[in-house]
Amino acid sequence: MKYWITVNGRPHEVDLIERLGRIEVAVDGTALDVVYEEVDQLGQVALFVGGEAHAMSIEGDEAAVSATLDGYLYSVEIEDERERAAHAAERAAAGGGGVVKSVMPGVVIQVLVAEGEEVSAGQPLLILEAMKMQNEIGAVCDGVVTALHVAEGEPVDSGAALATIEPHEESGAD
Amino acid sequence: MFTRILVANRGEIALRVIRTAREMGIETVAVYSRVDRRALHTRMAHIAVDLGGTLPRHTYLDAEKILAAARETGAEAIHPGYGFLSENADFARRVVEAGLAWIGPPPEAIEKMGDKITSRRVMQAAGVPVVPGLVDPVATAAEAQAEAEAVGYPIALKAAAGGGGKGIRVVRDPADMVGAFRTASGEAEAAFGDGRLYMERYLETARHVEVQVLFDAHGHGVHYFERECSIQRRHQKLIEECPSVVVTPELREEMGRVALAAGRAVNYEGAGTVEFLFSGGEFFFLEMNTRLQVEHPVTEMVTGRDLVREQLRVAAGEPLGYEQSDLRMSGHSIEVRLNAEDPVHGFVPSTGTIRNLRLPGGPWVRLDTALYRGMRVGLEYDPMLAKVIVWGADRDAAIARMVRALQELNVGGVKTGAPAALVVLEHERFKRGDFDTRFLEGLDLSAPHGGDDVVVAAAAAIHRHLLARRRALGSSAAMRRGWTARARAETSSWAPRPVDGGGAS
Repeated sequence: MKYWITVNGRPHEVDLIERLGRIEVAVDGTALDVVYEEVDQLGQVALFVGGEAHAMSIEGDEAAVSATLDGYLYSVEIEDERERAAHAAERAAAGGGGVVKSVMPGVVIQVLVAEGEEVSAGQPLLILEAMKMQNEIGAVCDGVVTALHVAEGEPVDSGAALATIEPHEESGAD
Repeated sequence: MFTRILVANRGEIALRVIRTAREMGIETVAVYSRVDRRALHTRMAHIAVDLGGTLPRHTYLDAEKILAAARETGAEAIHPGYGFLSENADFARRVVEAGLAWIGPPPEAIEKMGDKITSRRVMQAAGVPVVPGLVDPVATAAEAQAEAEAVGYPIALKAAAGGGGKGIRVVRDPADMVGAFRTASGEAEAAFGDGRLYMERYLETARHVEVQVLFDAHGHGVHYFERECSIQRRHQKLIEECPSVVVTPELREEMGRVALAAGRAVNYEGAGTVEFLFSGGEFFFLEMNTRLQVEHPVTEMVTGRDLVREQLRVAAGEPLGYEQSDLRMSGHSIEVRLNAEDPVHGFVPSTGTIRNLRLPGGPWVRLDTALYRGMRVGLEYDPMLAKVIVWGADRDAAIARMVRALQELNVGGVKTGAPAALVVLEHERFKRGDFDTRFLEGLDLSAPHGGDDVVVAAAAAIHRHLLARRRALGSSAAMRRGWTARARAETSSWAPRPVDGGGAS
């Protein structure tokens, strides 16, 4: 089985074969001597790579995991061949859309623009409060606000769409 | 001494107070909100009172409910912790009027120090050095723009009624004044019900050095030396230490003397912290926090004194019983605050459920936390999950110990600031003691640190492989269970169904 694994934004290819109950792994073409023991069902792992011990923890689903190794956190995305092709197609279809998404869960305190309004890159669109701090959320490009997806006082999750901006033709880089 | 006290707080600080009280043979009453029913502070107290409700204003900020809980449980004193009602003079007054002891300073001292303008006037009168700025607050962005020239850029905008880093903005360019005023004033209005802002010169390269003081009710006070808290971001501290590398014995004595003068000027009682900005060999009064500080443990580690115990003693009317010359510093202590946030993406809040938890241990590692497996981390309350505190014979030993402790730690389910703290602790400039309050903001934390990609990639692939295999086995097992359940249901409920008139096809 081949996996495309992105570790903190850096791509790696991993070949994994299970042979007679033993897992063999090669990362970027180099075979590794790996022993992976789950300590519990919660994510604690005893990992031995070429004799080196790592007290590691790993949690997440098939597509994305967070791994902690020696105090550092690694954000990891995992794709197999089919998923990799599907994601590439999705990205191609999406183009350079102008949906401003919330990077954090919070509450919309104030909306500073109206639908149909002309905005310039960096102009504050709304104020989002999270953890008692108020943050201005700015426009990503010059354009027109074609949709506001939230109202004042509304709680939003991380990743929620806040506003859609149609970029001006001339400023539309790809 | 008291026989029973109520702790009007939650999280690690409630637990911190409960722990010392238990050691002193004092019973504790915890109060809790709906989401904190299973919290550690609720479980570790002798008595726990349900405040009903979830939002802070219906629970830990509801003076009425807390006073009622104290009355019903026969508590003789209230410890407010930090945050919530701890710097609310009206609440302190009501506690005293209810015939209870307030484990904190007199309400008048809270009022004077809680208002930035009043405190500035009182400090100037007491001969305490202050930062250049306006004496009166401004209420509108236009006013702020007009007054800015006189103060001189860069300017710090601060909530007139503020604290805890809320309602603070630094403005370097006049063009940014309106936007900064709007968000800072909005925050101040939301947090304190007062949108007025105070303007002062922002010292570009300053270190945050604060002095811990404690006064008994008989006019006797001592200071417990300094803490340095310059490693901060948007005025939220990440790493604190005691002592500070820039404070010489002479400076320490001088800052201690000034801090005690600041406390005396408002007839202070109990524990408090006088915060200074240290810049170019000079120090300026910033504010006084009229409560126990989050970072108090580093002082405890270096002085060997339990500050909560001292708070309880003086609140009960006991004299301090020792002099300044009886206090000694030994070694070096560092604290790292673990907040639920993502340092790689600008420290945005992180929420989730703590599933996977490995806490550090070993010699001279102290953990002040109310974290437990299964805890849900939401947006209702402060994002601080834990404080890791270490002691070392000297600063280098303390840094090495903290790095080791953070490498042992992992908190799964939410992201924490631990990787950012590691980057700081391993940075040459931090090790040399060469930093100021802007050091952390100047680090590029978006570039991921830690370079064990190959190990992580291999582990992630195996994780996925095992998960897929387990899921495949799990689904067939679930199908079997489902089939058995259906078969049982069909064979055990064989009574004829009532006829409903037909019609359904």
